Amino acid sequence: MSSSLWGTAFAVAAKDLKIEWRTKTAFASSLVFAVLVLAIFYFSRDSTVVSELDIAPAAIWVTFTFAAMLGLNRAFLLEQENRAIDGLLLSPVPRTGIFVGKILGNLAFVAVVELVSLPLFSLFFNVPILHVLPSLLGVAAMATIAFVTVGTLLSAMVVRTRFAELMLPILLLPFLVPPIIGAVQITAGILAGRPMSEFAGWLKLLGAFDIAFVTACLLLFEATVEE
Amino acid sequence: MTRSEPLLAVADVSRRFGYRKVIEQVSFEVGGGDVLLLIGHNGAGKTTLIRLLAGLLSPNEGTVSRCDSFGVVTHDSMLYDSLSARENLQFYGRLYGRHDADKLDDLLRRVGLHEHADRHVITYSRGMVQRLALARALLPDPDLLLLDEPLTGLDDSASGMVREILSEFRTRNRAVVLTTHQLADVVDLATDVGYMVAGKLTAIEPVEGRDARAVTMRYRELASNV
Repeated sequence: MSSSLWGTAFAVAAKDLKIEWRTKTAFASSLVFAVLVLAIFYFSRDSTVVSELDIAPAAIWVTFTFAAMLGLNRAFLLEQENRAIDGLLLSPVPRTGIFVGKILGNLAFVAVVELVSLPLFSLFFNVPILHVLPSLLGVAAMATIAFVTVGTLLSAMVVRTRFAELMLPILLLPFLVPPIIGAVQITAGILAGRPMSEFAGWLKLLGAFDIAFVTACLLLFEATVEE
Repeated sequence: MTRSEPLLAVADVSRRFGYRKVIEQVSFEVGGGDVLLLIGHNGAGKTTLIRLLAGLLSPNEGTVSRCDSFGVVTHDSMLYDSLSARENLQFYGRLYGRHDADKLDDLLRRVGLHEHADRHVITYSRGMVQRLALARALLPDPDLLLLDEPLTGLDDSASGMVREILSEFRTRNRAVVLTTHQLADVVDLATDVGYMVAGKLTAIEPVEGRDARAVTMRYRELASNV
């Protein structure tokens, strides 16, 4: 009896996270990168000209996005070693389950990076976040789902190319623009204490992007891995 | 499929990479009890054909029909270096719906890796990796085995294990398609030999007691006519 879609997804995600926990390659480099970016933003800011609240949303989203990209490439590179991807494709499991598993693994990875980065962000920029934490986590979740899903699909596409680590950011960038702009605008509004009605449009954009691209990516994955 | 139907049916399969035709109009069937040995020079298309039979490549022309339960061993192990042998089999076991820990242990014993089951695959020798790859292929208790150079890196004891598997598949009315350059080790267990020359399956003939030397001479004869 073969696995169901979610059974497959959890098996793949658990395997990926177990391997990442043992090697800590992507995790360590993402965390170091996050600390470095936050530090650079902090020390490059002229506090007499730019307030913390002005730069904070950009700083946190640059950190999240590029730290996540370090991990996204690894998702399918892992399957290229010993052509383990063939083993997955030979299994009697729905291929969408493999893709969902990869997304879940990447989401868990990025979520950890974001959860570690948030307190550092609050510390560096002296921005209290506890009172708006649920809203911040909500917008982080919506934007992260968007770029992790698209990034996971694109990493499956580029992993067999010669310049995979270069290709992924180049291909991902156009898709990142809408959700990241939306996330930055919403984050700025939340941190400034503005009413949600002011950025409801961005929330709808983010929601629509999630629905449209998650659906499209789920439909496209099978064609991506076929030879 | 019922046992009267072939476990593998290949009809006019061709495959190109760009403009280069690698497999050309290959057709054959394999039924229960068959052990088909595919031989050919390097670059004859054996690996590509195995990948086509497994469904890892799609044919540009023709069709491949195979039973639902099959196992594959290719040049690559399809294993995760950072996991142990047991963890690799547990992972694939979850995908195949094989959760019985005792059965996984039996499989590891069968391929001679039970004592090393908790070591990470990256610490394994080439031969040990190949044994584990075989275990992975046997995990679904397949009716059909597709083996691409399964004897590579194996010592005498492991080669003996592969021979046992081939023999068992014959007696249990299952089927094997394998490629190998080590004819002497397996020709006596094969029922048929397929001769591949430049992407074409030039002939499939029963082994009928031929030894490795006779099969090689026949291959050279066929290759010279192409």
